[in-house]
Amino acid sequence: MTNTDRDDDKMLESFFEAGRADAPVPSQDLMARILADAQANMPAPAPIATPARRGLLAGLLAAVGGWPSVATMATAAVAGVWLGFVQPDALNSLSGGTLLPGSTATAYEVDDLIPSYGSFDVLLTEEG
Amino acid sequence: MAFDANSDVTDEALLVAYGNGDAEAAAMLTMRLTPRVLGFAARMLGGDRAEAEDVAQEAMLRLWKVAPDWRQGEAKVTTWLYRVVKNLCTDRLRKRRGVDIDAIAEPADDAPGAVAGMIEADRAAALQAALNQLPDRQRIAVTLRHLDGASNPEIAEVLEISVEAVESLTARGKRALKAILAGKREELGYDEH
Repeated sequence: MTNTDRDDDKMLESFFEAGRADAPVPSQDLMARILADAQANMPAPAPIATPARRGLLAGLLAAVGGWPSVATMATAAVAGVWLGFVQPDALNSLSGGTLLPGSTATAYEVDDLIPSYGSFDVLLTEEG
Repeated sequence: MAFDANSDVTDEALLVAYGNGDAEAAAMLTMRLTPRVLGFAARMLGGDRAEAEDVAQEAMLRLWKVAPDWRQGEAKVTTWLYRVVKNLCTDRLRKRRGVDIDAIAEPADDAPGAVAGMIEADRAAALQAALNQLPDRQRIAVTLRHLDGASNPEIAEVLEISVEAVESLTARGKRALKAILAGKREELGYDEH
């Protein structure tokens, strides 16, 4: 590269510098017009992701904690039905007849609770 | 989303935010991009400020409209805008040339105050007058490269040519500018030492 070339490059660069410094500044009016266009053409704000609507069954399921809870509840229900059908007498026995008074022949005797009580009685009789 | 003036959020991210209805992103994009779009349009149109403003508004309007369908990662927002400005200006220049050919190829001699000791603004005017004498593609390549700071690949995308073709256009453009401006160096107060 000759000196003249370098001088020409330097000269041209000084013109480019001047050109860059002289860049037009947008007027307030232009900025306002562009912003107005932006507002006029702005798409509606994207909705914040809403959970999908769920049906009644799904709602109920969620309320009780999902399928595992349903399984537990089903087991409990079946157990309840089972107890209700098969062991009313036994239950009444345990409660001393308070659940179904008069309907059972299994009212407690002292002997039921203290089996040795009866034997003691027999023993006394034998000795006496 | 909150942005400040020095935010390093990319133009593309802002455009996507605008496409999702973010008004703040629109304001940021307007502030960032309008000066560049206007500057390029003004240089393309030979310094016609009013017409450059119309082009800038139209280019930005097209940007707002394309926002919802913007395909991320395909082109830089500025490159896309430069291409729109280039097309809008080319159309206008074509129409203008049909009417008045002198309006574009304004001789450098007519630059205001072309006398010795010119201030920088006059050098800018002389540069603009010299740019006006270049063929369109050379003017676009030189303007984008040396006045708007665009990279050669970006310019290649704007002009839809290869990077090598851009380098060649820029080199020829600069040679032509040197030839035009060389005769002006004394009257423009260029001190080479």
